[in-house]
Amino acid sequence: MNEIDRREFIRRMILLALGATAASSGLARCGSPSVPTAAPTIPPLATATPMSTLPAATAAGPTPTGQPPAPATGDAYLAVARGDSPTALVQAAIRAIGGIERFVKPGADVIIKPNICVAYHGPEYAATTNPEVVGALVALCLGAGARRVRVMDNPFGGSPEAAYARSGVADAVKAAGGQMEIMSEMKYATAPIPQGKDLKQIRIYRDALDADVFINVPIAKDHGLARLTLGMKNLLGVIWDRPAMHRNMGQRIAELTSLVRPTLTVVDAVRILMANGPTGGNLADVKQTNTIIASADIVAADAYATSLFGLTPTDVSYIPAAAKMGLGTMDLAGVRVEEIGV
Amino acid sequence: MTAKTWRRARQAVQILAAVLFVYLLLGTRQGLPTFLPHDLFFRLDPLVGVAAMLAGRRWIAALALGLATLALAVLAGRAWCGWLCPLGAALDWTRPRLSREGDPRGNWRSAKHGLLLVILFAALLGNLTLLVLDPLTILFRTMAAAVLPAVNALLTAAESALYAIGPLQRPLEWVDRVLRGAGLVGGEPAFQQGVVLALVFAGVLALNAVRPRFWCRYLCPLGALLGLVSKVSFLRHHADADACVACGKCARACPTGTVDPARGYAADPSECTLCLDCAAVCPTNAVAFRWHLVPAGWREYDPSRRQALLSLGVAVAGVGLLRAAPAARRDHPRLIRPPGARENGLLDKCIRCGECMKVCPTSGLQPSLDVAGLEGLWTPVLVPRLGYCDYSCHSCGQACPTGAIPPLSLDDKRRAVIGVAYIDENRCIPWADGADCIVCEEMCPVPDKAIQLDVQTVARPDGTVAEVRRPRVIRERCIGCGICEYKCPLNGEAAIRVYAP
Repeated sequence: MNEIDRREFIRRMILLALGATAASSGLARCGSPSVPTAAPTIPPLATATPMSTLPAATAAGPTPTGQPPAPATGDAYLAVARGDSPTALVQAAIRAIGGIERFVKPGADVIIKPNICVAYHGPEYAATTNPEVVGALVALCLGAGARRVRVMDNPFGGSPEAAYARSGVADAVKAAGGQMEIMSEMKYATAPIPQGKDLKQIRIYRDALDADVFINVPIAKDHGLARLTLGMKNLLGVIWDRPAMHRNMGQRIAELTSLVRPTLTVVDAVRILMANGPTGGNLADVKQTNTIIASADIVAADAYATSLFGLTPTDVSYIPAAAKMGLGTMDLAGVRVEEIGV
Repeated sequence: MTAKTWRRARQAVQILAAVLFVYLLLGTRQGLPTFLPHDLFFRLDPLVGVAAMLAGRRWIAALALGLATLALAVLAGRAWCGWLCPLGAALDWTRPRLSREGDPRGNWRSAKHGLLLVILFAALLGNLTLLVLDPLTILFRTMAAAVLPAVNALLTAAESALYAIGPLQRPLEWVDRVLRGAGLVGGEPAFQQGVVLALVFAGVLALNAVRPRFWCRYLCPLGALLGLVSKVSFLRHHADADACVACGKCARACPTGTVDPARGYAADPSECTLCLDCAAVCPTNAVAFRWHLVPAGWREYDPSRRQALLSLGVAVAGVGLLRAAPAARRDHPRLIRPPGARENGLLDKCIRCGECMKVCPTSGLQPSLDVAGLEGLWTPVLVPRLGYCDYSCHSCGQACPTGAIPPLSLDDKRRAVIGVAYIDENRCIPWADGADCIVCEEMCPVPDKAIQLDVQTVARPDGTVAEVRRPRVIRERCIGCGICEYKCPLNGEAAIRVYAP
């Protein structure tokens, strides 16, 4: 082999890098409408799953990804479990809507998205999702044969490491065999929102769209602008620019939901935060409600959760907005709700 | 052991000390390391210790370790500089191979003594500004506020560019986990004057080209202090006149240029760093390091009474001028100090080391340029638009080596008022445009929310009438953490701003 000097080596490396960059940018643009942004774009995912039948009241748009198969006869559309053990509540509620096997197939790559918005307080303050609930979900997914289960959020107050630790979620997930993931900037990319009217595209964490299963585990709490932060509001944790969502919030959250389409939503209402949300810090604002709500329909789950606060679905702007877009139903009279005492 | 083996040992110790410095630097973050004190090098720095205790008029137990460094100087001269100083290591490793011999004309070596004396006299008068020139504060500050943020930014850029390439995603995720887990914080640390700090550091390195270890010979105040102690050191360079063949190799090899052919190849113990390069190159093994009991002689560049008086004059004049500056008369409205530091009198305790800026998870603590006046150059101030004071963190007080930022418990820190927020109603979206935006209220970490929302029916600029939630600050609840200002969605200046209390 003939020797090359340093200068020649560097020249070849630069050419190689340029070539790779050109090739990769070409690949990234393949098959997607080119959006004039610096960030790479994710092509809209074509799905092979048959169109799932949402309740007749809704007109489904493009097939969402990760939609579970329609509930089998006998399964509830939405389950509400009440009792003292958060783990038992999660298990009972999911069993009632068809069992974890309905959502998690063997070998699936699962993301669980709790609400870990701040690093300020422990779980008793009801600002972050109950760690037992998250741990129970991790265990269920692994039990169903999931290849890996990752848990993540992007806190707005404090560092992710500190928030994961103080919320108790990190320990619970580790004990159950899952892994905490810190959401790195490199993994955000701009994706088009086909159903978007106000938002045509959004910079979003890729894995939230690419994972086989996306389980949304919000805690139900008070919020100054949205009235309540529930399942759909929890999806703000997977996008890059949260402040932008505060303008025309109801519609924008609904459009974000149309892109993410969680496989399953589990609302943690073991404790709920009645005031001074989303950050909390007063035990006086916390109400022990010992409830878990589960449904494949995020709109229905959120709609039911409003009743815990003495509100109706129309009080929380993103719920009617999402129902209008056909992302789910907020009319719970037309679906089968199963209430379970555990 | 031969001289060459000893030199190898010195190089190994230098590498280990530098690795330890970097390890502690990276470990300086929320949840400080437990294996060794994260500020070990500052504790070992007697200049920092003496100056901080003089200026603060108090004994600082944590800095007593500087006595060990002084004891080392009594034992073996400036061995610290040749064996342990991480800045010295950086200078050795960036030294050009060919550089000019001998000193420039004039007593340049006395400059460092002047600097040392001015620092000590100013410290007596309660001023620590010139500690920005302590070698360890230079190195740590540069790494924390310039080099690491730059590395982090380059890493993020490279990751984001390469992540589009499918096969690279897995390895990149691993690299990201390992590197950021190892102390590169997430988020994007960004520091005002990072470029200036980097240039100062680059200048110190570049002076190597004028003379090897230019900084250590002529400028370093810590080197000057250790050098003065080294006058009475026991272990010293000795050139054996019988074995010496006057080839001059040792004088050419000496990085601090203190081996003097005109004086029989003798070295001044207060300039010699015991690096053993001279011994390693001597063809006849004429160079040895032996025990001495007689103090070394005073040299023409060593401090004189005149220099001491001049330094005292400079210190008095400088401190007088600083005390007559506007910053001493009235605080800048944006002088937001770390929690507890204002009440604690930060100025006469802060050594400008940058530990607090490194540990701050939001990089909200910034090196001050003008907000604290010239006297407070590079002391920490919170710049809320760049980062907020995290309600879950009290790391700066834990990290501060001198107690300039008091080590408050997390509960006390959460109650410490560092500033007060005011809303600019001319720019705030609900006030000026009649549109909803509650980001500041949402973000407020105080349990009872220092920002309240009032529902009001208002006329918008376009004439329509709407119901809007308008934020209002309840000042007695506000702690000034600045997360409202940081997160305010307006471009440029925020519509809610934190001012000094």
